[in-house]
Amino acid sequence: MKQQTFDSSVTLQMVLEALAFATDVPVSAKEVCRVYAEVVGEASSPSEAAVDEAFRALNDSYEIGGHTMRIQYWAGGLRMTTTESVAPFLEAFFRRERRRHLTKPLMETLAIVAYKQPATKAEIDAVRGVDSGYALRKLLELNLLAIFGRADIIGRPMLYATTERFLEEFGLKNLDELPNLRQAEELLGDAAFNEERTRLLMAKGLNMGDGDPSSTTSESKSKS
Amino acid sequence: MYRVQLQEFEGPLDLLLLLINRNEIDIFDIPIAQITNEYLSYVELIETIDLDGVAEFIYFAALLISVKARMLLPRPEEDEEGEPIDPRQEIVDRLLEYVQYKNAAETLDEQFKQRSLLFTRGQASTPVQSMKPAQEILVKRTVFDLIDTLRDVLENAPEEPTITIAPQKHSIAEQCEYIRDAVFAQQQVSFSSMVMGKTRYFIVITFLAALEMAYSGEVFVSSAPDGEDFVIERAAGQTFAG
Repeated sequence: MKQQTFDSSVTLQMVLEALAFATDVPVSAKEVCRVYAEVVGEASSPSEAAVDEAFRALNDSYEIGGHTMRIQYWAGGLRMTTTESVAPFLEAFFRRERRRHLTKPLMETLAIVAYKQPATKAEIDAVRGVDSGYALRKLLELNLLAIFGRADIIGRPMLYATTERFLEEFGLKNLDELPNLRQAEELLGDAAFNEERTRLLMAKGLNMGDGDPSSTTSESKSKS
Repeated sequence: MYRVQLQEFEGPLDLLLLLINRNEIDIFDIPIAQITNEYLSYVELIETIDLDGVAEFIYFAALLISVKARMLLPRPEEDEEGEPIDPRQEIVDRLLEYVQYKNAAETLDEQFKQRSLLFTRGQASTPVQSMKPAQEILVKRTVFDLIDTLRDVLENAPEEPTITIAPQKHSIAEQCEYIRDAVFAQQQVSFSSMVMGKTRYFIVITFLAALEMAYSGEVFVSSAPDGEDFVIERAAGQTFAG
């Protein structure tokens, strides 16, 4: 391929920044490498690790410079976003008074599929104890789930899996980044689970006695 | 005709967890007779208000009753190794698994909220356009708390004097209008005051109308701390963040 003329002071970091800025879909590290090599020449094709490093260096420089943009690595691609600190202003501008929200049945269904995928409707229904047909249809519609194929069992039921869009909407690089499922035994001893109980006791004018539930909650939150 | 779907609020496993929590029960040692009775008293009411989701509640009722029966067997069932099988195992396993995913759903929800604070370029093309703006279900605490109120109110409702087969006098739409008028006049009204002295039918339909409106975000429903009544409030134009 014929090399194009370019300013030799352009670094990989700058190319990365420009791509993240100009596109509104995630750009994978591989694509960054390909684009860079296409212009600069195959011989100087950067490694994906170099892209990774450039990505980190860029975010560091934004932070040091007090800028409000960051580059994220979601759904296996780079994406430019604003920082959390300016969210109220952007929300005001876009008049997003109401936060986007998924209802409880939708979130539960999505969580089950995310951790069990590929999962059949029967598996999901069994965990929730209720029919998840509506929630599944809704999640397919939102493109957070997709049909992955059919299971090799009687009836050949459809298998559901999460999509790239799911990763992007939840700010995950890949499925390995899903927070670990906590053990139920651990959760049962958890303050959050006991909230209802605490509330009931308080209503009766009793003290919780042992342990301050609020401190453990914030602790477990900061860990996750 | 719209229908309130209880499963949009809470399912049978949520009810079991609530009962276990409320009675401060150790999940690994559930007093099955007590829980079954309490559970059935709710299912009875859920049946009265004729919610579509009752089948799932009945399935668990059957499961609880069969466990209760097996607990009464003089000789415990044994597995292949001769270890006694606790008939409650299936229920406990299901509850534990559900708790796990319920928690995962909460964690994901948090993640989703955090992520939506970060704006991407070309906001107009944000993929979740089709995702409705937050439609919070405006029920504080659980729908079972509301059912508690319904039970109390129904107990005190006057009996219909004679059985006459009349066309249904109140529709959910009409009762929505009734609630709408009340909350516009007073901002907030208590459920029991709205149905005082009315017939069972009127009470049940009004209850369903309140749920329906809470679901569509029109009103905010919250239980009084003593759980004996609940308050219907006009929802503000916006939902409260977080």
